[in-house]
Amino acid sequence: MTAEKFAPIRDKTHKEQIERWANFVREHPDKWKSEVKPFIDGQIIMARRFYKKLSESEGGTQKILELRNLKL
Amino acid sequence: MERKISDRTILDNFVEDFCGIMEKYAPYIVCSGFVAIAHGRTRGTEDVDMIIEPITKTKFIELHKTLIRGGFQCIQSDNPDKLYIDYLTKGISIRYVWKNENFAPPEMEVKFAKDELDRMQIKERQKLPLTGLSVYFSSIESNIAFKEEYLGAEKDLEDALHLRIVYRDKLDEDKIKKIKREIILFRKSK
Repeated sequence: MTAEKFAPIRDKTHKEQIERWANFVREHPDKWKSEVKPFIDGQIIMARRFYKKLSESEGGTQKILELRNLKL
Repeated sequence: MERKISDRTILDNFVEDFCGIMEKYAPYIVCSGFVAIAHGRTRGTEDVDMIIEPITKTKFIELHKTLIRGGFQCIQSDNPDKLYIDYLTKGISIRYVWKNENFAPPEMEVKFAKDELDRMQIKERQKLPLTGLSVYFSSIESNIAFKEEYLGAEKDLEDALHLRIVYRDKLDEDKIKKIKREIILFRKSK
């Protein structure tokens, strides 16, 4: 295996973005929440939509139990 | 700090609803990933971590029933005796989600405090105004210490970096170092 195979997936721009965004949160305490709300809500809305569709599909209930590591 | 009602996320409502019930039964803290997310960190999380002071089985049964009435359900079981005996007292977490959502996230992962470190975090719990939430968290110093010293995954280090920037000039670095020493003593030396 070459060294490139083990190169980090993320380059320095990822860390730069983390810092840039954290500074925005720090400097705009009244604004940041409205920026992230669609992102946070979107993840949950998508998860709910998926779980509903899965529950309605053949074998879906069993799959949900497996996904959630539950037992019948 | 005032937050507009329209800024409230689904996750905010879930966490505040749950914590509002829990507070009547046991001192708690919300910790780990949600702390960073509540401070604007843009990453996903399926679960919110909560540590509570151990309570009696009788009290837990009351808590569980109140959570059910409050619209939550426990993923592992509907039987609070089983949840208490087979999970909580054995150091295993129990997980609550909203009812009628096919067990979809978000979920609250609840466990008893297991050592002096957990109890210390609960004792020093605080509300963090920057989050806009009426929820008790472990201290920012504690969160940073755990993420850097104990968890250490890429996302945890990024969470810690985010919190360090947001709370720049307000952090007690000596406290972070002290907690890291306690983590080594209570967790890593085992």
